[in-house]
Amino acid sequence: MTGSFRCRNLVAGALVLAAFGALCVLIFSRLSGHWEWSKPWAYRELLFRGWWTTILLSLGAFFGSALVGLLLLLGQRSGLPALKWSCRLFLEFVRDTPLLVQLLVGYFVIFAPLLSRTLGGWGWDDKLLIGILLLSLFEGAYLGEILRGGIDSIPRAQWDSARAVGFNRRQLYRHVIFPQAIRRVLPAVAGQFVSLIKDSSLLSVIGVQEFAYQAKVYTAKTYGGLEAYVPLALGYLLLTAPVAFLSHRLERRFRDET
Amino acid sequence: MKLEVAGLTKRYDGHAALDGLDLSVADARVLALIGPSGGGKSTFLRVLGGLETPDEGRVSLHGETLPATAAGLLAHRRRNGFLFQQFNLFPHLDALRNLTLPLETVHGLSPADARQTAEAVLGRFGLLAHARKRPAQLSGGQQQRVGLARAVAAKPRVLFLDEPTSALDPEMTAEVLELIQELAAAGQTIVLSTHEMGFARAVADHVAFLAAGRIEESGPPADLFGNPRSPACQRFLSRILKWS
Repeated sequence: MTGSFRCRNLVAGALVLAAFGALCVLIFSRLSGHWEWSKPWAYRELLFRGWWTTILLSLGAFFGSALVGLLLLLGQRSGLPALKWSCRLFLEFVRDTPLLVQLLVGYFVIFAPLLSRTLGGWGWDDKLLIGILLLSLFEGAYLGEILRGGIDSIPRAQWDSARAVGFNRRQLYRHVIFPQAIRRVLPAVAGQFVSLIKDSSLLSVIGVQEFAYQAKVYTAKTYGGLEAYVPLALGYLLLTAPVAFLSHRLERRFRDET
Repeated sequence: MKLEVAGLTKRYDGHAALDGLDLSVADARVLALIGPSGGGKSTFLRVLGGLETPDEGRVSLHGETLPATAAGLLAHRRRNGFLFQQFNLFPHLDALRNLTLPLETVHGLSPADARQTAEAVLGRFGLLAHARKRPAQLSGGQQQRVGLARAVAAKPRVLFLDEPTSALDPEMTAEVLELIQELAAAGQTIVLSTHEMGFARAVADHVAFLAAGRIEESGPPADLFGNPRSPACQRFLSRILKWS
């Protein structure tokens, strides 16, 4: 059985590889003559600067979204209906409208008129900061739902036991609920971080000079050279792959623990 | 222990889990609650243990009225111990930490004292070899014994046990019941709900039969088991004792 299985698997692999290779040959033959790898190399500093901005942006939005997510979680668990429903409304709004629209409206309509001059006056990069803020709000909404799901997944008996041993509300969350919930949501949080890195490429529409923006600048400067898109894809992969790998490992570890 | 309960009512979505429950126990060290499932034993215990607030009625334990404020109930829970059917332990902490954490954070012991107290209790319960194991690495009986150890480590005035052996196989049931009996013999005040009639009869000095959210009958075990007066209790006992 294993022999025939291995044989079939080998044939399938060969077919996939052949199809992929044929596709590549077809594409590259059509574009042949247009590829000039010396051009992106000449502009490597520009592209690297964009890539570096994407890292800063992602890190900033990661912490920002963690804060937003935590606030939304607390707001949703609040005993005050006004607070609870405001948070829910915000969540629904963010999750049910496209990020692109949020960025355009959030930047050009809301935050740019409000903050740009002040931030610029302080000598800060207003686009970058507002971009981090908008991305934090968007990803934070998803993170808030992930965290809420994690807390809700802790069985009733744990809440009861924690109360029974005499923990007050703060101790209950700190010692019993959060440590267990965080273990459960870590893989999902890591997955969300991967999304965040990818979503950051949309910030080019409000002029944040991140990786995708610089790739477009390169294309404009070199009159339509398409070479930048390959390093663009690889550059994002370089950032997301380790996080995705970590997420899978955490997932497996959590499975083993329970 | 002196216990006075009058008109205790607790409703969940219109269903009365406790329906004007009255009970008067003048002096008992071990009070056993028996009766059919869904009869209100757990709810009654949860009210007594300060985990649930009743809609109506009054409870006085040791001559003191049960508190109604959140702070009062917290203090009440800290004074007493509670053990559920299962999943009592915190799965992310080992057995020892399950004991020391409440001792440190709730009862204000220093880490060294908490550890000493916890190890003493675990040792007394024959669990010291398992101190560094997580709950998932322990058998159901061992988990319940660690749960008991945690509940008594802080020297509770009353130990509330809600069907502590219902999720266990007969062998583990025996190991947990033995431990509860030892605690009772050592003078621990206990209120427990149980389906182990032989145990209730042997260890309790007062037994109350609960059905449909009320106490149908209560008294010393010899009376209640030997000569049940209410028809509901007679039916329950004849059915449950048929195969034992």
